[in-house]
Amino acid sequence: MNLSHRHLRYGWWTLFVFLALGVVLETLHGFKLGWYLDVSNQTRRLMFTLAHAHGTLLALVNIAAGLTLRTVKEVVISPRASSALIWGSAILPAGFFLGGIIVHDGDPSLGVALVPIGALLLLYGVGSAARSVAQGTASSVK
Amino acid sequence: MLSSRIVWAGAAAVLWCATMLVVSLSQGLAPSKPPDNRPIAALASDLVSSDTCRSCHPGNYASWHASFHRTMTQVAKPANFAAPMDGLELSHDGVDYRVDRGGQGYRVRSRPSGAPAASFGPPKEIVLLTGSHHLQVCWTETGLGRTLGQFPFAYLIAEKKWVPMSHSFLVSPDIKQVYEKGSWNDGCITCHATQGRSRPEPNGYFDSQVAEFGISCEACHGGGREHIEANRNPLRRFALHLSGAGDPTIANPAKMDGPTSSLACGQCHSIQAFTNAADAAKFDREGSSFRPGMKQLDARTVTQPPRPGQPKEPAPREAHAFGDSFWPDGMIRVTGREYNGTMASPCFKGGKFSCLSCHQMHPEETDAGSLNDWKASRQMKPGLGESDDACLQCHQTMKTNLTAHTHHAAGSSGSHCYNCHMPHTTYGLLRALRSHEISSPTARETTEFGRPNACTLCHLDQPLAWTADKLAEWYGQKPPQLSADDRLYSAGAQGLLRGDAGLRSLIAWSMGWAPAQKASGLEWFYPYLIFSLNDPYAAVRFAAWKSLQTLPGFSGHAFDYTVNDARQKEAVDLGYRKWWFEVRSAKVSYRPQTLLRGDGMFRQDIFDRMLDQRDQRRMLLTE
Repeated sequence: MNLSHRHLRYGWWTLFVFLALGVVLETLHGFKLGWYLDVSNQTRRLMFTLAHAHGTLLALVNIAAGLTLRTVKEVVISPRASSALIWGSAILPAGFFLGGIIVHDGDPSLGVALVPIGALLLLYGVGSAARSVAQGTASSVK
Repeated sequence: MLSSRIVWAGAAAVLWCATMLVVSLSQGLAPSKPPDNRPIAALASDLVSSDTCRSCHPGNYASWHASFHRTMTQVAKPANFAAPMDGLELSHDGVDYRVDRGGQGYRVRSRPSGAPAASFGPPKEIVLLTGSHHLQVCWTETGLGRTLGQFPFAYLIAEKKWVPMSHSFLVSPDIKQVYEKGSWNDGCITCHATQGRSRPEPNGYFDSQVAEFGISCEACHGGGREHIEANRNPLRRFALHLSGAGDPTIANPAKMDGPTSSLACGQCHSIQAFTNAADAAKFDREGSSFRPGMKQLDARTVTQPPRPGQPKEPAPREAHAFGDSFWPDGMIRVTGREYNGTMASPCFKGGKFSCLSCHQMHPEETDAGSLNDWKASRQMKPGLGESDDACLQCHQTMKTNLTAHTHHAAGSSGSHCYNCHMPHTTYGLLRALRSHEISSPTARETTEFGRPNACTLCHLDQPLAWTADKLAEWYGQKPPQLSADDRLYSAGAQGLLRGDAGLRSLIAWSMGWAPAQKASGLEWFYPYLIFSLNDPYAAVRFAAWKSLQTLPGFSGHAFDYTVNDARQKEAVDLGYRKWWFEVRSAKVSYRPQTLLRGDGMFRQDIFDRMLDQRDQRRMLLTE
């Protein structure tokens, strides 16, 4: 599959999913649900907010990656880096979300262990993309 | 090329920013000097303060923050005062007091009553506040180091009224000042602050320190330093979460056996005495070394008088000071010391029963509304409140057998466990409270020990013989030897006429208690409550006034219980006239057992005789 198309498709769908999560969180605010808003559940609120924010931002990053690949011919990223970017964009916010479903006072649940895994995948994916962009733009200048 | 004007403007901006940075850093980094006119917060060895607990336990922090434990003692910032203070002027015992703004909040000046305005003395800053539930008390600087003096008034929060301190407890009328200089440092500090150290100095001053003002997390959970260090490791935390095991680095009374858990509360909620002078001195210097989870208090013992039939042990040091705090059979009769009652209860001997069987310190719901409800319910577990469920947790057979046991209609106040087994026989903070010694009512407790029994605290109109007969018939209790009066006349009326000041307060309070009004008929309460507005004890007058306000026709009745002079006599006279001419129904026929004639007048001969027999001993019931 075309990597550009893959990032665009993933980006737009996850943007939809995490914007929808934002709507859910606003609804929880609207109905003042203690499960989300009470002081004792502030860890859950933090985790869900982080999931929403990271998920939305990373969706935009994937859209940007897809557009970059489509419009800048000199930029080529490896399929492995592309997969790392996509999986990292999924696993990191999912870790925050799962960590918030069950909380232990100030600690999230074990789902939060996905977050560092996702973060490492993202670092690899974004780093590779950055290197490719740098190399691509350098060759085009020559 | 930049113009010189722009260069100068840029240089000025850089200089200004640098100056602001230096000033900000010096302000932020310079250690703030602790105040030297009051006790200060200084952490002790293993304590870390509630702020440190907050980040990991936000819900528990929120419930504690909403509790009255937190506000037991507060620094006297303007926001912490329950009363409006601006322009306050009060007089007591020949001294006028005037409050104005100053220091960190408010200052007090005083002068002899009637002296010229210019004779107000130097201001003394109000530095600490104790209480925030029923009443609040102000403590002032004295100029003697961190030794505190007392502003001699208490603010009754519900009544929005300043009263002399001596009128906020049950105090003999000849006592005008309850506390003296250093009372907070030497006494209150132990239980109105966390890890208080009074630190008396050779010159008689105090250099007192506390870990935290108010009762904070570590009062009940022990020092948190080891817990914090151990739980920086997330793997350890998740291992504990997943295993569900308790954390051995911190005490949790909810996971202890009953007696150990209750002692965490009992370290304050009990009558205590130091075991010897050396231990007392060490305690004053270093604070308590007791930590929740331990089986015994340190340096102190819980003072519990021997029960009838038990051998008498040598009285611990200072135990004499609490003589009024117990009924003659050793049952606690003053509030704030519930552990004495709990530990003497049969339930306690099973090893599982504790304060936390009924109370909950950290409710799960932490929204503002739920926390307010929880506070209003005296921190009961959700759903328990005034229901029978607290008792039915263990006494499950009673669920199906309730009316056969109680001999009262299901759902009535007579079928309610608390009303018979935890009657209102303790007193403090100007109200009657439920006994925390779970017991069964007997006629003997009244004849031998002078304590009202649960039956006649509700059926105030009935003679003691009626109680004895019912208890004999229903439960096979052997009736005690009864006097002729006990056979004929209302136990409630007798208590109000003949009882000591503590008993009179309980009876006057009970006359305002809805179940007693329903069971006894309230028409005959009027003359007794109006008569009790004349009682020599302010606490009795207060109880009578509050109960009178619950009766039809006297809602909102104005009366100043703090005065005891011609104005009071006049107010009582007016109250009596109001009842006789406006409220009293001619259709009501008053029963002779209430010592009233059919028309409501006192049966004067018996009334006078009982009044002559009144227990006039001086009483002091504080908390």
